[in-house]
Amino acid sequence: MKLRLIAALAAVFLLAACTQAADTTTTVGTPTTADGGVTTTADTGGSTVPAGETTTTGATGDGLLAEVQARGSVRCGINEAVPGFGFLEADGTRSGFDIDFCRAVAAAIFGDPEAVEFVPLTAQQRFTALQAGEIDVLIRNTTYTASRDGGEGATFLSTTFYDGQGMMVRADSGFTVLEDLANTAICVLSGTTTELNLATRFVDIPYEPLTFEENDVLQEAFVAGQCDGWTSDKSQLAGVRSAFPEGPDALVILEETFSKEPLGPAVRDGDSQWAQIVDWVVNVTIIAEELGIESGNVDTFADTENLEIRRLLGLEIESDEGVAVFNAGLGLDPGWPADVITAVGNYGEIFNRNVGPDSPLGLERELNALWTEGGLIYAPPFR
Amino acid sequence: MATGTPFSPLMTPARPPFWRNVKVLRAVIQIIALLGVGVVVYVLFFNVTNNLRARGIRTDFEFLDQPFGVRIAGSDLSPGAPVRAALINGVKNTLALTVVGLPLLTILGVLVGVGRLSANWLVSKVSTVYVEILRNLPPLLLIVFAFQAVILRLPPARSPVTPFGWFVISNLETHVPGFRAGEGYATFISIVGLALAVGALVWWWRTRVQQEAGAPHHRWAWSLGLVAVVATIAYLVIGRPLTITLPVLTGRVVDGGFRGLGAFFAVMGALVLYTSSHVAEIVRGSIQAVPKGQTEAASALALSGFQRLRFVVLPQALRTALPPVINQYLNYVKNTSLAIVVGFAEVTLIAFQAIGNGQPAPQVIITLMAAYLVFSLVISLIINVLNRRLRMVTR
Repeated sequence: MKLRLIAALAAVFLLAACTQAADTTTTVGTPTTADGGVTTTADTGGSTVPAGETTTTGATGDGLLAEVQARGSVRCGINEAVPGFGFLEADGTRSGFDIDFCRAVAAAIFGDPEAVEFVPLTAQQRFTALQAGEIDVLIRNTTYTASRDGGEGATFLSTTFYDGQGMMVRADSGFTVLEDLANTAICVLSGTTTELNLATRFVDIPYEPLTFEENDVLQEAFVAGQCDGWTSDKSQLAGVRSAFPEGPDALVILEETFSKEPLGPAVRDGDSQWAQIVDWVVNVTIIAEELGIESGNVDTFADTENLEIRRLLGLEIESDEGVAVFNAGLGLDPGWPADVITAVGNYGEIFNRNVGPDSPLGLERELNALWTEGGLIYAPPFR
Repeated sequence: MATGTPFSPLMTPARPPFWRNVKVLRAVIQIIALLGVGVVVYVLFFNVTNNLRARGIRTDFEFLDQPFGVRIAGSDLSPGAPVRAALINGVKNTLALTVVGLPLLTILGVLVGVGRLSANWLVSKVSTVYVEILRNLPPLLLIVFAFQAVILRLPPARSPVTPFGWFVISNLETHVPGFRAGEGYATFISIVGLALAVGALVWWWRTRVQQEAGAPHHRWAWSLGLVAVVATIAYLVIGRPLTITLPVLTGRVVDGGFRGLGAFFAVMGALVLYTSSHVAEIVRGSIQAVPKGQTEAASALALSGFQRLRFVVLPQALRTALPPVINQYLNYVKNTSLAIVVGFAEVTLIAFQAIGNGQPAPQVIITLMAAYLVFSLVISLIINVLNRRLRMVTR
């Protein structure tokens, strides 16, 4: 009796040992492609990747695109506490610049802007969640930096918002330049480039950094006067100022911009097809604004002579060889840009709806204007 | 036939074959179980490192040498200091919370625990309310409440108050009079340390004198007197190893005195109150566990209520109370990690900042767990020594 028990246990353990030796790619969690051999910048520390790990993406259906299509929704990592970018309204709906781009990705893949699963994340959790596969794409006012590209295992895509870091103080404090804030406490969110830039800019100025996990407690501390300055991306500060209980005029954002903060979506390293899809979703919104296509007038271009528009919207193009529809080979059905534009509009519409001059944030386009109007928003051609 | 042969077959202890010899089988099962656990641990470890490598995340501990990148509230570390230094700073802050909080919560817990059993109706009701409210609220809630409803309500940092000219108080930090180390500070401290050690010996000697000769020991007077005399002589001889400083406010800078961050007081206050309510319940239970005969005998000896408590009941009660109280101390230490919500830079906040600024998460978390493990083991070691000493006194 006991002997049989011992024999059974021994068999189980031997089995475990054998399977572990043969299958070197046991993964825990979502079965994403372990494309270790493809990434170069991410492979730090001299560790070699086992040879059996590279898998092909694309038509074989092993990539993240196939997984997302099978699941039926895109998991998007977002912020829910920044008005204008990622905000949870009182009635439970989500609104914001980044939220709209999440919906654009869903519209591109499924034709349905609501096929999104929003995953709210703190600044601390966002990269871990992306690395672990809990989200497919991170659109959470995240700054594109070298160390995030390399060390954090993330791939950054086209910048959606060119921002800079600023400092917000009370209007009655009398501070006008950053040097006035010597020997005061400055509130900042932990785990952000903001913290690092603050340390760099204030290297010769004595100050006390108060790092908080969430904006709620930070705002309480700022309102109570525990810290005299609140530093963050200027767009976030504008959002907070617009929703400030004492009114936006009680606060002033100092002039100086002390860093570059290009904000854009990020995906996990290793899946080029998925990265390209998200990248081109952003690009088509920009191209649509260049071409004058809006969410309301997408259908009116059926007879246009403009070949760029016909390519973008997946309309038939007549040539000497016959009739053809342009397919960029990204893995999506042609005409997906039309779905995106119908769902969320072009870049200008997304900007104006969420953060534009008529919105509570009241931001001007400035750096975020089209390249034809002196700004930095520029997309490669869709051909 | 069987006579004369002491080793008949029936009396010889026959050894069963190894495959049904219970002793052998027991050993074999132990070995197999050990191997099984080893295999499981190895599989898990291999799995984790494999997955990390596949995603291009480092698996070494070199992050400890990387620059931390940001300043820490309340410390002078530059942003270029290594992560190791930042973590040590965080441990110092957790240590500060522990060293200040544990004695406070013990005193409060014992007082409230005894108070619950008081004959005075008001005292016992207030203690009951204290325990019932604080025990049943989550510590995170208490910390956030202490921060937002108490600390933040103090005057804002731009206009602190200076009561008596001795303190500078704002919701950011509190400055109290302190001292500054001058020349010869190290020598002075070592002399005082030595005096304390000798004082402990004197204490022991005086206790022995009383036990053997019956004379009153006056041990407090002897030992503290010795330390005071030696310290004063050393102070005068060395010159001025310490200078008392009062906090002086000029503009936004405070010079002199000791400083405590507002968030520190919020976390410490909330956790001391929370943990002391648990300790109070433990003390109450252990007092009630002392046999009633002891209190009756003490009354028969005409001991007053206080003397009864001090000399008969509490010494016996504390013996039973000590193991659960150690548990509460460890809970206090672990709950200090909730300080990240109010931005106090103890070791968990530093670790999370490191992760947020690009250090590899698994290794940082392992280091953090090791730090807490060391903390908890040291505390329970110290108190277990005390526990053993108390235990040896019983019959």
